[in-house]
Amino acid sequence: MNALAKLTTVELKLLVREPGSMFTVLIPLFILVVFGSSIEPGDTVLLPMSLAIAVGLVGLYMLPTTLATYRERGILRRLSTTPLPPANLLVVQLLMQLVLAALACGLLIAVAGTALGARLPGAGWAVAVTFLLGTGAMFSIGLLIAALAANGRTANGIGVLLYFPMAYLAGLMQPADQMPGFLVAVGEYTPLGAFRQSLHEVWSGGSPSLSLLVVMAAYTVVLSAAAARFFRWE
Amino acid sequence: MAVIEVSDLTKSYSGQTVLDGVSFSVEEGEIFGILGPNGAGKTTAVECVEGLRRPDGGSIRVLGLEPGKDGKALRQQIGVQLQHTQLPDTIKVWEALDLYASFYDAPRDWRELVRQWGLTDKRDARFGKLSGGQKQRLFIALALIGNPRVAFLDELTTGLDPQARRATWELIKQVRAEGVTVVLVSHFMDEVEELCDRVAVFDRGGIVALDTPAGLIQGVDAEHRMRFTLMTEADPKALLGGLPGVSGVVRDGQRVVVTGKGDFATAVTAQLARHHVLVTELRIDTRTLDDAFVALTGRSFE
Repeated sequence: MNALAKLTTVELKLLVREPGSMFTVLIPLFILVVFGSSIEPGDTVLLPMSLAIAVGLVGLYMLPTTLATYRERGILRRLSTTPLPPANLLVVQLLMQLVLAALACGLLIAVAGTALGARLPGAGWAVAVTFLLGTGAMFSIGLLIAALAANGRTANGIGVLLYFPMAYLAGLMQPADQMPGFLVAVGEYTPLGAFRQSLHEVWSGGSPSLSLLVVMAAYTVVLSAAAARFFRWE
Repeated sequence: MAVIEVSDLTKSYSGQTVLDGVSFSVEEGEIFGILGPNGAGKTTAVECVEGLRRPDGGSIRVLGLEPGKDGKALRQQIGVQLQHTQLPDTIKVWEALDLYASFYDAPRDWRELVRQWGLTDKRDARFGKLSGGQKQRLFIALALIGNPRVAFLDELTTGLDPQARRATWELIKQVRAEGVTVVLVSHFMDEVEELCDRVAVFDRGGIVALDTPAGLIQGVDAEHRMRFTLMTEADPKALLGGLPGVSGVVRDGQRVVVTGKGDFATAVTAQLARHHVLVTELRIDTRTLDDAFVALTGRSFE
């Protein structure tokens, strides 16, 4: 087996052994199931909320904590003494976290669509674009945290500090229609808020507002550029 | 044949000189020691040779390759154990070895290394559950997994108990016996004395001496002591004070301590025999690398 395939296999095993990855799947699923009993058929709020939570948790917790820990433990440095450049590990990790986010979302959609009778969206392209940009924005934040944090614990702490205000503004703590109007308006300019709102719009049968897509794209480009600029190998 | 040739290496970090004209060469099949206190520039020098750091000046050749230019080809042929490196806590011993083996064109069989380094019982154990000694053995096994021609081992017995250190030393000798050239960075005198064929003594960014451990000790004419207890009455001061090399004679009851340089002990014992002075509990303090280091750098080691 070649090195990249083996690296992917091992990183996948490590991801499965990491308790955090279980939580990023279970927390949004728990929210979906608990509140799912009280939603009306055809609800377009709860599922987008739990999907945004799932992607947010992977982007803000799992990704930065894993990468910062790898640097802290000297694993990237150790790799740079082997014939396999350490950038491979970063790419494989990024893919793993994408797979984790996709699995969590797939599970949520499956449960919501079958057990809860929630509405599933029609337009495939709108779903794809929204997920692409939303995941891009959340992962860019994670990469920037990983670039700036000195170690895994700090990365985890920054993730926690960022997650709660972002989740609140994004309407993940309570449905947006129960929040003050100006906070909702502000929330749509945050990456997580723009993601949830455009998921909501897609699930409501429309296409996502261009402004929301632009917000997510802008965060993706700016934050990942900053992450690349500030990243240190050791 | 020299497998590593370093000449006039310089490196500074933000105005602070870390390496100031370091030159040395390592011969094929030897264990080459790099000894010095923390902050002497040992690790920086080795990391430049490994290609992890770019020196400001000087030239480096490893197996005929330039680390800065031919890094990819070089990394196929060297094995490295770094200071302060860990693995993910949840990776299993065999997974780490199997993974690292896949990076190289002609790796060794990891099962054989597991046996050789006494990790058979720990094959399926997770890294986080290993003891300090087991982790260290795994790191050395990982440094050897690519079947390297040169292995760099940095502070390999730091944090190990005396028994584990001895066991590690035996294995390092075995590595040399297999034909691998070993560069050993250490701040332990006993380790260097035990293992190394030649030693470069680093101090304040430069090499202050380069020789065999025995050569370093002999080359430094440090004062040392011999002690004995008189069994017959004699005046040791009058008898021994004027002998070549002797610099001091102190008597305390029947016990005598003679201080001197060079081969003064032979002269002392000969003189005692000639005058039929019987002594017991004769002890000559052996000189060690510690003494050599103090003499070379003008300060104690730690």
